[in-house]
Amino acid sequence: MFEQVLTFLQAMADQTGVAHFWWGNLVMIAIGCTMILLAITKKYEPLLLIGIGFSCVISNVPGSDLVLPGGLFNYAYHGIELLVIPPLIFFGVGAMTDFGPMIANPKLVVLGALAHLGIFISLIGAKALGFSINESGAIGIIGGADGPMAVFVCVKLAPHLLPQVAVAAYSYMALMPLIQPPVIKLFTSREERLIRMRQMRPVSRLEKIAFPIVMGIVVNLFFPPVAPLITMLMLGNLFKECLVTDRLYKTAANDLMNVIIIILTVGIGSTMNAEKFLTVKTIEIVILGLVAFLGGTASGVLGAKFMNLFLKEKINPCLGAAGIASVPIAARVAHIVAAKEDRENLLIYHAMGPNLAGVFGTAISGGIMLALLGVQ
Amino acid sequence: MVPDSVYGAVLLSIIDFFLSIVMITGIGFVLTLFPLLNRLGTLDEEKIRKGGH
Repeated sequence: MFEQVLTFLQAMADQTGVAHFWWGNLVMIAIGCTMILLAITKKYEPLLLIGIGFSCVISNVPGSDLVLPGGLFNYAYHGIELLVIPPLIFFGVGAMTDFGPMIANPKLVVLGALAHLGIFISLIGAKALGFSINESGAIGIIGGADGPMAVFVCVKLAPHLLPQVAVAAYSYMALMPLIQPPVIKLFTSREERLIRMRQMRPVSRLEKIAFPIVMGIVVNLFFPPVAPLITMLMLGNLFKECLVTDRLYKTAANDLMNVIIIILTVGIGSTMNAEKFLTVKTIEIVILGLVAFLGGTASGVLGAKFMNLFLKEKINPCLGAAGIASVPIAARVAHIVAAKEDRENLLIYHAMGPNLAGVFGTAISGGIMLALLGVQ
Repeated sequence: MVPDSVYGAVLLSIIDFFLSIVMITGIGFVLTLFPLLNRLGTLDEEKIRKGGH
C-alpha cells in the first residue's frame, strides 16, 4: 500500500516541471530576468526585452504548455518561422517612419552600406569556425542590425539556426546603447564629434509620396529575394505619407505594430530553451554577432571619416555608426554620443538618414547574398 | 555557386560588400533626382486631407 502511494506520487512528480529542471534552465531563467531588469532599470528597449525576457523565463520552466506544440508561444514562433511576422513588422515600421532625412541628404545614403562590413567579418569568421557557407551567411546578417531581415535571411539560408540568430540580433539591437558608444569614441576625436551638420532642405509631400512607390519598384526589380520586407515597409510608408488613409496608417503604426511586437518577442523568447540554446554553437553565434555589431559600427564611423577626405562640408563621423540600421536605436546612439560633447548639437534628424539607408543596405546585402548562394 | 570554404566566404563577402555599395549609391543617385519632382507642382495637403479616411 505504502509502496503504491510512493509510486503514484513519483508518477505525479514526473508530470510536473520540477523533475525535469536542470542547471541550464536556471542559467536561462537568470538571462531572461537580466533582460527584464535591463529593460526596467536601464530602459534598454523595453518593448523588445520584456517580452523576450519573460518568454525566455517561461520556456525554461519544464512543462510549460505555452511553448509546446499547440501552445500560444509556439504559434507565435511559427509566425516568425513562416515569415508572416517579419514583413508585418516592416509594414508597421514603414507607417511609423519619416523617410524625409534620407531623401533630403542622399550623400549620406552610402553610409547604409559602409556600416555593414561587420556582416562580412562575422561571415568569414563563422566559416573559419566550421559553419557551412549558408550558416555563415545567416550568422553574418546579424551584423545588419535589422531583426526582421536577420530572421528572413536566416529562414532562407539556415532555418535550424533561427533561434540563435534571432535572439542574437534582437538582443544586440536592444543593447546598442551599450555596444556602440565605446566604438564610436575609439575611432573619433572630440573635434570630430563636435562637427555640426547644416540644416537639411525641406522635403515636399510629392517627394514623400513618390519615395515608397519608386523604392518599391527598384527593390522588386533588383532584389526580389528580399523584396517582401521592403515592399511592406514601403506600403506602410505610403499609407502614412499619402494623407488619405489615416485610419490604416494609424492602425499599422500603433495597434497592429503593438500586436506584432508582442507576438515577435514571445516567439523569439520561447526559442531560448536551455537544451537547444546552451550549446557551443550558440556561444559562437553570440560572439560572432557581437563582432558583427562592433565591426559594423567601426566600419560606419571609418567610412564617414573616409568620406570627409573628399567632402568640402565635413560630416560628423558619429553618423556613420547610424548606418548599421536598427532604426531608430542607432540614430539615437549617434545623437547621444555627439550631444555628450555639445548639448546643442542635434544630430538625431541627420542620423536618421544613414539609419534608414542602413535598412536598405541590409536588405541589399541580404538579397545579394541569397542570389550568390543560389537561394530563392 | 560559391564554394563552401573560407575562400568562398571571402569571395562572397568581397562581391557582396562592393555590390552593396554600388547599389546603395545607385539609390542615392535616384534620390538626388527627387527635387526634380517638385517642378511638377506642389500638392495642397489640406485639400488632400479633406477627402481622406
